[in-house]
Order: sequence, then C-alpha cells, then structure tokens
Amino acid sequence: MAHYGTSQFKNGLKLMLEGNPCSIVNNEIVKPGKGQAFNRVKFKDLITGKTLEKTFKSGESLEGADVMELNMQYLYNDGESWHFMDPDSYDQYALDETAMSGAINYLVEQDSCVVTLWNNNPISVTPPNHVVLEVVDTDPGLKGDTAGTGGKPATMNTGVVVQVPLFIAIGEKVKVDTRTNEYAGRA
Amino acid sequence: MLIKTIRDFFYDRDVTEVTTPALVSSPITDVHIDSIGVRVNEGLGKADALYLHTSPEIEMKRLLAKGSGDIFQICSVYRDNEYGERNFNEFGMLEYYRLDFDMHQLMSEVGELVNALGDSRPVIKMSYSEAFTRYVGIDILQTDLDTLKIFAGSHGLSDDFHWIEDLQMLLFVHFVEPKLRQHPICFIYDFPSQQAALAQVENRVAHRFELYLDGVEVANGYQELQSAEDYRERFQLELNKRQALEKPLMALDEQFLADLSAPLPFCSGVAIGIERLLLKMCL
Repeated sequence: MAHYGTSQFKNGLKLMLEGNPCSIVNNEIVKPGKGQAFNRVKFKDLITGKTLEKTFKSGESLEGADVMELNMQYLYNDGESWHFMDPDSYDQYALDETAMSGAINYLVEQDSCVVTLWNNNPISVTPPNHVVLEVVDTDPGLKGDTAGTGGKPATMNTGVVVQVPLFIAIGEKVKVDTRTNEYAGRA
Repeated sequence: MLIKTIRDFFYDRDVTEVTTPALVSSPITDVHIDSIGVRVNEGLGKADALYLHTSPEIEMKRLLAKGSGDIFQICSVYRDNEYGERNFNEFGMLEYYRLDFDMHQLMSEVGELVNALGDSRPVIKMSYSEAFTRYVGIDILQTDLDTLKIFAGSHGLSDDFHWIEDLQMLLFVHFVEPKLRQHPICFIYDFPSQQAALAQVENRVAHRFELYLDGVEVANGYQELQSAEDYRERFQLELNKRQALEKPLMALDEQFLADLSAPLPFCSGVAIGIERLLLKMCL
C-alpha cells in the first residue's frame, strides 16, 4: 500500500495507525514561529470508532489503509453473522456482532447500507439515515392525542426502543432517524 | 481602524514609528525560517542577490544600537516555504522595542494593547515549565533528550529527533497548545535555554515569551541580547543546525555585528502577527 506524506493529509484520507485503519477527521498545520512545521491530526479508528489525536513532524509519512465503502444490500442474519451483498458484483460478506455494532438496531432485510471493507474484510456498517420500522410493542395511546404532547417508549421489530407520539399503535410502521434514534414520522 | 488604534497606542506612549528596508543584503540564519531571495540590477550588468526581510528585527536593532530609543514598525514580511491555513508567504507584522523594559513589563504592555483593541478577556501568564507540569506532567527543564524520546514514543509520537528543542516543540504543539484555548489571552514565558533564539538566558531559562490567543501563537518576544559576541554565537548555532540539515548556508551578517560595537541598550522587543492578532479582534 502507498505511503502518504503529511503534505497529502486531508479529511477522509484512510491511513494505518497503530495497526488499525483510521480516517482523518481534522488536519491542522501548526508552524511555530521559531520551529519546524507540524501536522496536528484527529483520526477516527474505523475498527473501534474511537477518536485519536496525533502530531507529526511535517515530512513524516504513514502507510495508507486499503479501505473501501460500498453500498450493499442486507440479506439476512443466521444467528451468528449478518450477511450483505454487493449488488454490482453479487459478492456476499458476513459481518460479526462487533462489526455490526449499533447498526443491528436499524437493519431491515433488503435495506441498502454502506459497508466498510478493509483489505476486503468488512469492518463496519452504516445504516441509511432513515429507516422504516414496525412497532411491535407499546402502551395503548389515548384517543384524540396529537403529536407534540410528549411521547411514550415503543419497541420496534428490530428490538430497538424509540420514543414515539402517544397516538402510535402496535403494528404501525414509523420512520426512525438512525443517527439520533428519534421518531421522524409515520411511514 | 484597528491599525489606527495600534498607532495611537504607541504614539500615546511616545514610541517612535520607523520604517526600515524590506530588501536586505543578508538572509536570516534561523534554521526554520527561509528568506525569499530576489535578483536585482541584472539589466545594469551589476547583478546582485537581495532578500526580502522575514522580520524587521535586524534593521530595527541597528537603529536601537544607534540610540533611536523606543521604536515600533508595522510592515509586511515575507517567508518562503510556509504552508497551512494560518501561514502565508507574506503577512503583516507589528514589531516594537522598549528600552529598560524587562520581559514581564513588555508582556504586560502587549496585554494592554490586546485589551485596547477591544478584547477585554483576562490576560494570564504561565511559564513554559508550569505549562508542561500542568498539561504534560513532566519537568521539561530537567528532562533530557533520551527520556523525552521514550515519553514521545509511548504516546505514539515520533522520536526521530536530533535536537531536544525540536522534540520539546512537538510535545508543546501536541499536548499544551490545545489546552491553551481555555485561556483566551495567554502568555507563555521563560523558555528552555535550547529555544532561546535571541533572548537573554539566565538560570538556564531564556527570557523569551509567546502570546497565544485562543490557542494560536500570535507573538514572540525577547528580553534582548545586547553584545555582538552574543549575537555571533546565536547566529552560529543556527548555521550549525542548517549545515546538519543540509539547508542553504549564508555568511554571518558582519555589518550588523559591526554595528553592535556599541551594544544594544537593555531592552525587550516583540514581533506580533497582525492578521492573527486582528482576526481574533473581529470575532
């Protein structure tokens, strides 16, 4: 894999850091008046999701990480792994629970997600910003309630619990924002 | 408007405004500051190499040695090989010198200038050593290069350094600078002697200071060296580093050293990046 010098650093560049693939979130060049230039860089570790901060002498270089983000279709869960397919190549990929992380809460079969591959192995998945989920359990609401007067917890078909308006009943389909875990309307 | 405020600030204090040449015959020796060279008079058959000044320091010190008294200058300066969102090949500089001021008196006055420009947030002063104790947990004045390398390596930072000052600066940029945002107007003073530049050294610390506004370096000041011998020694140190790094070498500015046959009066001086200073004022 190619090496990248500090002058090529930019947001989104994928590099190897301490053995893990990382993505540059912020790259700040600091040149002390009387000193050499440095790059103060914030990274996101693509495996652990943690943020790291490192400072490099300008001129240092790091190995690039072979990371690809592909749109894939979620197929099914066999109890151990979650299976996805690249609709272009029909290649299938299995993700374990660690790689799935919070995405488990929002995956509906046939939905399209972004799967991140490192050296062609899946390391994480990002669900769409909005997904349609079905309410499987919630307290019955009072007739005549309207949106905006508070809410109640509702369990979705994926198992995640979302605050919904009082008028939502079991069996209804609702739109959920996966970034905030918030109710975003009736589907 | 803000430039007028700066001028008024100095005129009110009887500091004389001066203008010195931007084209000079000797480039600066600082290992990490590169001069921009220009060729002149080629058409006259008398080609000569001149350099755009990287700061008006040397020319202003010639005036001080001749007895100018307190002086200030607002000018553009030029540096090669600058890159980044806050670094440019040309930028504005306010440089000034105060006779009989020690470093602390000058810091106080720079703080008053920042306040006069409309930034009324509190001014704090912290020694370089205190900043390292507080934010890095090491005694920077007592720690040698090998120990610093081990410390840097244990934090996943480069330990490939020949000179301790370069590693001190990496640790400062990585650990200390981001924390200085908590102190919007912050002076850092008494640098390790290896970072003395042209400041007087006493009891193993250099009487040098920097001003940070919201964590960004804006000014650099010294309690100034006075004798030609001291300047010759410091210039030579920079040339030695240039040689080791295979960077362009230049002759010492013998004319300047000769001009210091009458040494500089006891004084302190500071260079302030105008864009960085005023950027913070406009927020």
